[in-house]
Amino acid sequence: MSLLEVRDVTRRFGGLTAVDGVSFDVHEGSIKAIIGPNGAGKSTLFNVLTGFDRPDEGSVSFQGRELTGERPHKVVLRGVARTFQNTQLFEEMTALENVLVGRHARTRTGFIAAALRLPGTGTEEKLAREEAARLLRLLGLESWTDSPAADMPHGLRRLLEIARALATGPTLMLLDEPAAGLNHAETATLAEALYRIRDAGVTLVVVEHDMGLVMEISDEIVVLDQGRKIAEGPPRLIQKDPEVLRAYLGQEDEDE
Amino acid sequence: MGGSELLQFVISGLKNGSIYALVSLGFTIVYASTGVINFAQGEFYMLGGMFSVWAFATFGLPLWLAAIVGILLTAATGILFELLAIRPRKDGDQLSLIIITIGGSLLLSSLARHLFGPDELAIPAFTSGPSVRVFGAAIERQTLWIWGLTITAVVILNWVYNKTKLGRALRACAINRDAARLVGVDTRLIVTVSFALAAALGGLAGLSVAPLTQTAFDAGARVGVKGFAAAILGGLGNPIAAVAGGLMLGLIESMSIAYLSSTYKDAISLLVLLLVLFVRPQGLFSRSRREKV
Amino acid sequence: MRRGVLKFAPLAIGSLVVACMPLLVDDRYLLKVLSFVAINVVIVTGLALLFGYAGQISLGHAAFYGIGAYASGYATTTLGLPWIVGLIAAILLSALGGVLLALPSLRLKGHYLAMATLGFGEIMRIAFVEAQPITGGPDGLGSIPYPSIGSFEMSAPVGTYLLAWGAAGLTLLLATNIVRQRPGRAMRALHGSELGAMACGIDIVGLKVRVFTVSAVLAGVAGSLYAHLVGFVSPSTFSLHFSVILIAMAVLGGSGSLAGPFVATALLTLLPFADAIIPGLSRDALALIQDWEADVYGLIIILVMLFAPGGVAGMLRRRRRGAGVRP
Repeated sequence: MSLLEVRDVTRRFGGLTAVDGVSFDVHEGSIKAIIGPNGAGKSTLFNVLTGFDRPDEGSVSFQGRELTGERPHKVVLRGVARTFQNTQLFEEMTALENVLVGRHARTRTGFIAAALRLPGTGTEEKLAREEAARLLRLLGLESWTDSPAADMPHGLRRLLEIARALATGPTLMLLDEPAAGLNHAETATLAEALYRIRDAGVTLVVVEHDMGLVMEISDEIVVLDQGRKIAEGPPRLIQKDPEVLRAYLGQEDEDE
Repeated sequence: MGGSELLQFVISGLKNGSIYALVSLGFTIVYASTGVINFAQGEFYMLGGMFSVWAFATFGLPLWLAAIVGILLTAATGILFELLAIRPRKDGDQLSLIIITIGGSLLLSSLARHLFGPDELAIPAFTSGPSVRVFGAAIERQTLWIWGLTITAVVILNWVYNKTKLGRALRACAINRDAARLVGVDTRLIVTVSFALAAALGGLAGLSVAPLTQTAFDAGARVGVKGFAAAILGGLGNPIAAVAGGLMLGLIESMSIAYLSSTYKDAISLLVLLLVLFVRPQGLFSRSRREKV
Repeated sequence: MRRGVLKFAPLAIGSLVVACMPLLVDDRYLLKVLSFVAINVVIVTGLALLFGYAGQISLGHAAFYGIGAYASGYATTTLGLPWIVGLIAAILLSALGGVLLALPSLRLKGHYLAMATLGFGEIMRIAFVEAQPITGGPDGLGSIPYPSIGSFEMSAPVGTYLLAWGAAGLTLLLATNIVRQRPGRAMRALHGSELGAMACGIDIVGLKVRVFTVSAVLAGVAGSLYAHLVGFVSPSTFSLHFSVILIAMAVLGGSGSLAGPFVATALLTLLPFADAIIPGLSRDALALIQDWEADVYGLIIILVMLFAPGGVAGMLRRRRRGAGVRP
């Protein structure tokens, strides 16, 4: 079954069409990668999918219901979490607190309940802390529990942002270049973590530049170029697609 | 209301509007170079008047020289304020800079009270003589001075912006500070220069209106808010729009006195400020921009 | 365990000293000054939530303080209603004002928000002067009674002192509960990264409106306390100048803390009343302090932002870290 349906999504900025009539499906339990050269419209598409931006045309539906036009926090409540290309951590808060903020969507204590410590708030807080600690362990971050996010090394910060996104209890998670700036060992850890997350029942959409990682983990790949979808399919086929080679992989080969 | 009465209100509106336009230009210039609203802008207006009174009354300088001294000392204060309070905050964090200018506003006005005393002060009109009569309305000679000086300031500023190297650097900073730095513009110097210009314009406004309305150490905040309202009305960052916003606010105020009551003059401009902020924060003359994530 | 006890010891001793103060000293002036400290603690705690935790600025809090003061004053004098009704009126009206201002203006960022709140504050000040039948105009509103419940009257200085500090203590307790749980974390998240906060499912506009309203209500409560303590309110109290002084207290206090702003509020409130706590301070010295009070506030704002952005809270944190309580 199709978890996420993207239909003819178009987004323009002034005269520039950043995303141009893109359609694809994401199936439950899979890992889908979105690749393309810089400026292909990947991040814009991500923003549209997560409510941070609105499409000029087209629609996005999630679990059979319209998602287009929902505000970001509503999208999170529907079960779609995201990370950012430039990590958006809460720098002065500890790793545990960062993940606890991720629990915001799944907890209820408001100002009055918190101020008066109404019955239930203590239990909720305790459960949230346990869940946050569990997620830190899942991503191997438990030794950083009480360190401010600002003090953590770059690679672990990306993992922390993933842990925070997981804390929102997503069905679908969108990761914007999770391997950017990671070394080989860190990338391997990341791949490991992504499998574990997928196995825990979370569907993944990953925008990524690291071709090795993309070919290894993804079940299906969507290739964007100048806002258009130029190919879609399993990694083996994408690697051989002439249009993709021309638009993208050719460049990548030059880099290496 | 008769035609000549209405004209009288228009004249008065354009007089106050010119003052707001000068203060509003100060906001715009500093905003363009720093991305921050300078809450101390109104204090430059106050200082312009105070320094001129001081130079005129205490040192007995001729009025024209006292006015020049007033502008120069105010500009110097602006430079000093930037060097001592803005520049040391190297990260340029906006909330912090805003708070610094709020503190600066309080500090400048209370220092002025120590320097010049708590009383209201005034200087004589630049040229004495009866009002000029036009179609049954009277224009005070000082009003003509205000218009003349405002137009001169705008023309000079326009020339600086469009014809000089400094102006190009100022415009480059306004568009993109990082890019400007990359192509070799000394952005720190530009920030200092913009504070000097903003202070000079505020000072000019303060001293040219000082003969009509007395000035005191606490006169800055009120005019500062109006100058900001004018800048917002026009749309922050555009000098022409800032002037237009100033004149418009002056006219709106004047008309509210004509048709409502002078009691609500200040409230009206504040309401205009809130209304524009809530409904059209990008101003009347700019197109809306959507922020990109 | 021992560490836990140690942590609460200063708090317990502090509360005890504050509560027993009226038994220890018999100085009406000192008690009144200390009551002002308590009232300012209530309002600055609200500002600490708004500014120090959520990262939003307000230059209009003097207006909410005024709304609370006039609401309470009008209800208990002109309408002759009991004190508690005045207090409730103060809470409701400041909440209403807070929501009405917050809804449109919290979509605005940084300097726009500062100017919108400043504009609101100035409009309210004009309203306080012009709404003569309610506020008494420029002459103000007098003969506001002491707080009383039934026939029990809390008169100055001891009754009002205990009431003000009771309110301050309650405010600090409730605020501590808020910042240590879900809403407090959401506020800090908002301050840290709005995008990150949205991605965590936080309705950032809704959250800002809530924090702003809470802080407006605390200012309203403080205003009500002030009106009944002093017995007289006039528009000049609720000026932009006062809003800026409150900013100075919150800035000096530092962000992400309630203890820091508490200490800063006490210090800056006592400054112009230095003679109350320093016996034998000469009249000239006091006059000098009062003459330079505004300069000091302005200078403090600038210096803290430039050289000690953590404020008092930053210093407390460093000390605690030095003592090894935090890893």
